[in-house]
Amino acid sequence: VRQEWLDYNHHLTDAGYAIVLSEAHELLLERLGLSAEYRTSHSASMFTVATHIRYLAECSEGQTLTAATMLVEADRKRLRLHSELFADGALAATGECLYVHVDTSLGRSVPLPEDRQAAVDGMRKAHAGLPRPAHLGLGVGVRP
Amino acid sequence: VTDRVTTPYEGREPAPWDPSAEIEAPLRLHSTPVLTEWLDYNGHMSESCYLLAFGDSADAFFRFLGIDEAYRAAGQSLYTSQTHLHHWKEAAGGDRLDLTLQVLDHDRRRLHIFHEMRHDETGNLLASAEQLLVHVDMAAGRSTDLPDHLYERIAAIQRAHSVLARPEVVGRPMGIRR
Repeated sequence: VRQEWLDYNHHLTDAGYAIVLSEAHELLLERLGLSAEYRTSHSASMFTVATHIRYLAECSEGQTLTAATMLVEADRKRLRLHSELFADGALAATGECLYVHVDTSLGRSVPLPEDRQAAVDGMRKAHAGLPRPAHLGLGVGVRP
Repeated sequence: VTDRVTTPYEGREPAPWDPSAEIEAPLRLHSTPVLTEWLDYNGHMSESCYLLAFGDSADAFFRFLGIDEAYRAAGQSLYTSQTHLHHWKEAAGGDRLDLTLQVLDHDRRRLHIFHEMRHDETGNLLASAEQLLVHVDMAAGRSTDLPDHLYERIAAIQRAHSVLARPEVVGRPMGIRR
């Protein structure tokens, strides 16, 4: 937890959780070959459609945040990821994001190329046995 | 240069609450240019910066209610419990963003609000955020009832906002729709 992410209370500010969440998701996209290099080589990118963060605990400067990220579902154009964010081992937040694959020269969503689709399918199979958090896909204020 | 996140309204004392004043529906308390430090390698606004802008609008709303540094120093505050952010269109450097805030619902200690961010010239909806806020006793680290004066102000705002349509995305679950 960096000093520049702290709010007036000296706790991690709301947007700070979002920064860590997108860094974690960027690393997962990198595993799938859908990160910075891909953006340049394919003129395509994963765009964030929606983000749902549940804030569960305050985080203080100097704590270490760790993300555990799973691929929840995917189709030819879309990916949905869920992360648990731990602060020194204790669950501090969860974040769920929906991404769409966009051809940035056309400015619209297009299917993933075959090799990336294969990587996504491989990860989806590997994550299929993971326990699904009870709050997945629930709207704001809905308790699991 | 500050060593932490600040909001443009920090330190600003709230105007006294006027119970006879008409309440805007929705509230328009915050407007900001897209700051250079918010831009990504593409010249578009980075994801987490949308939350900074919505947070600044929420801070303006807190001060409108009467929640400022003095209120927090006395031990209570509104904490964000959940945020559901929707990205509709990209914002770029040079754009100016107009934010609105609508009170959807509340009880003694919880507040359900909805923000919209629009391009000031085109009026295009760029992003929206649905948030659940909780009134917290900071020392005890748990939720606590709002004091009567804040509860009444929030109730008055919700009444004024009952003329507004409920945004379509409120309560929408996330998922791949086929």
